[in-house]
Amino acid sequence: MSLLSQIFTWWNGQTIGTRLFTWARGQFVGEDEQGNRFYQTPDGKRRWVIYRGEAEASRISPDWHGWLHHTWDEPPNRRPLPHKRWEKPHRPNMTGTEEAYHPPGSLLRPRPVLPRDYEAWTPEG
Amino acid sequence: MGELRRIIIDDREIEVDPALTLIQACEMAGVEIPRFCYHERLSIAGNCRMCLVEVVGGPPKPAASCAMQVRDLRPGPNGEPPVVRTNTPMVKKAREGVMEFLLINHPLDCPICDQGGECDLQDQAMAYGVDFSRYREPKRAAIDLDLGPLVETHMTRCISCTRCVRFITEVAGMPELGQTGRGEDAEITSYLGRSLESELQGNIIDLCPVGALVSKPYAFTARPWELTKTESIDVMDALGSNIRVDTRGREVMRILPRNHDGVNEEWLSDKARFVWDGLRRQRLDRPYLRRDGRLRPAGWAEAFAAIRDALPGRRLVALAGDLAPVEAVWALGRLTAALGGTGECRLDGAKLPEGNRAAYVGTARIEDIDAARWVLLIGTNPRAEAPVLNARIRKAWLAGADVQRVGRPADLTYPVEDLGADRAALARLGASDLSARRAAPGIVIVGMGALTGPDGLAVLAEAQAIAAAAGAGLLVLHTAAGRVGAMDIGFVTEGGLAAALDGAGVVWSLGADEIDIPAGPFVIYQGSHGDRGAHRADVILPGAAWTEESGIFVNTEGRPQMALRAGFPPGDARENWAIIRAASEALGHRLPFDSLAELRAELFAAHPHLARLDEVPVNEGPALPRGGLGQGEFAEAIADHYLTNPIARASEVMAELSRRAHARRMAMAAE
Repeated sequence: MSLLSQIFTWWNGQTIGTRLFTWARGQFVGEDEQGNRFYQTPDGKRRWVIYRGEAEASRISPDWHGWLHHTWDEPPNRRPLPHKRWEKPHRPNMTGTEEAYHPPGSLLRPRPVLPRDYEAWTPEG
Repeated sequence: MGELRRIIIDDREIEVDPALTLIQACEMAGVEIPRFCYHERLSIAGNCRMCLVEVVGGPPKPAASCAMQVRDLRPGPNGEPPVVRTNTPMVKKAREGVMEFLLINHPLDCPICDQGGECDLQDQAMAYGVDFSRYREPKRAAIDLDLGPLVETHMTRCISCTRCVRFITEVAGMPELGQTGRGEDAEITSYLGRSLESELQGNIIDLCPVGALVSKPYAFTARPWELTKTESIDVMDALGSNIRVDTRGREVMRILPRNHDGVNEEWLSDKARFVWDGLRRQRLDRPYLRRDGRLRPAGWAEAFAAIRDALPGRRLVALAGDLAPVEAVWALGRLTAALGGTGECRLDGAKLPEGNRAAYVGTARIEDIDAARWVLLIGTNPRAEAPVLNARIRKAWLAGADVQRVGRPADLTYPVEDLGADRAALARLGASDLSARRAAPGIVIVGMGALTGPDGLAVLAEAQAIAAAAGAGLLVLHTAAGRVGAMDIGFVTEGGLAAALDGAGVVWSLGADEIDIPAGPFVIYQGSHGDRGAHRADVILPGAAWTEESGIFVNTEGRPQMALRAGFPPGDARENWAIIRAASEALGHRLPFDSLAELRAELFAAHPHLARLDEVPVNEGPALPRGGLGQGEFAEAIADHYLTNPIARASEVMAELSRRAHARRMAMAAE
């Protein structure tokens, strides 16, 4: 099934061309927590990723993104980047999905089912 | 009042009192004169110049009709009546010119101004102004004042009519505002940049003819044309001020005063005006039932079943709270009587005698204060208990009345002669010869602080005797809006609250939050807000607040007034009389009315004076027997003016006002 979808679609994992190129020249570098696999050519000039699942660029975390784009030389599995306590886990772009962000005041922002024009008393509160 | 004068206004000849101003004479003739600075209840300033009229034969310039009296006009050479014209080209041009001057420095921010839609300047610019401006220069800039949490200022919009200055100085009696500078630099300022402290400051928002002073809590929330206006009665104090409740949907957006010359004139206290945010917080919106020591949400049927299970073998006592309308108290009284219990409404322990209306209401009307030349305050601080009434006493003082007080000293915004704070001073006054006071009308005002002691009846008797000796009226100043109504229908127990609660097995509390119900009895709390009463309750029945049901309130002078329903109660809450009617069916003593109209018919048959709305009945009753005065000073009737009932305690604005008042008291005590 995955082979078929790779033959007939370009947005699932890798295409046939990428598969052949990776087989011929790819040097495995690492894998992120989502299972995307990262490769480079032996001379390190070209770096690429083979997605596990949908080929969606925003699924790549900033750490691997930096390595892919030659911002830093060492991949993050070999030299992890410093992370602050307050950093949130990476989240892909949700535009077009149910979880898309709508700013306050947007008509698309989900509203409470019952608009409350009063605050109710509760025995505990 | 002198002899009437004849005067011709726009070819209409009328006879008027020469002391009237031309603007009043024109009003009597049915001619409307535009005005900004003139206000019937304030002194005359004559600085807006909008009311210009032409006086024929007078000086060849328009005259300000608010500042000129009818007696200032000279008759014609052959004794013809003087002629005033308001529709000539000269007057039209004068009005257009004044309007153009006023608009020179007025910003064009009507779209973002809260006064939009109810702005005198907008209306009069449309009616009397011109449709262009010749002014090309930059407009004046002004720095906005910080007047506290109630009044928001936009001083660029100010047209310097000085109504706010005159109100604060004359009516509120706290000279906190003034005008400084001349010409273009004239501006309204508060002294030393202080914020307002008066309890009546909200009225300057109504008085301001433009959007310079607007309401801070209401800012940018609604436009006047989208609000539903409902005529109602205020319950924050016992004065029964006439109010208009403005709602949008279910929410109360603001409260404004209505004119009633006999009660509140056209003023309203800040507590009544800004309490509406309390109607949105801490609301009881579903019945609760105490199970295993904790209150848990329940249905109406479960709540009624719990009451039915609790009743047998226990004595029922019903307590009518401060904000309960007469109908709800009547229904509760009927139910209590059917179940063999008793009711009580004097929750503060005031010794009000049952059935003797001349004693528990008094014989005077609030209007009588205006004519009084002598005002005696016994154990009351009207500024805290009813600020609008205090403004009325101040008005009497301005007209030359003596104000004397037996009770704790407090600043009432006018000088008061203190006769002593204790009961001995009252006894001395009662023993003295007061016949000299008979020459002019007087009024004796007795507060709840004087009547809550164990000798309350003796104090009331002494006050009656003093009033009788001085030929004065007696006014009992209540602190609770529902008290007089509940007294009128006899919702009392012999011996007062202590006797009623003694050995009570079940207490049905209709919004009684000001007292602590002792441990022991099963408590049914019926009310609108989760306050002290709800925490003590075993069953909570959510009721409507006063804006959410139609009800009759009898004010402190004994005037029944009807408040109309402005909105619906939240969630599962119901109107109070309907809850009692439904409970009566569940308890097996079905009350014989199915609608408010049927309830009222029964109520009016039993107490016909309640049907004569807005009439103050003449109260006659036997004088109470004198003697038995105790010792000691009179107490304060209320501890905190801004936090006297559950609605006010739920309001954030009231909490802020209370905090500020407390800070002021602390600062004064430190000095």
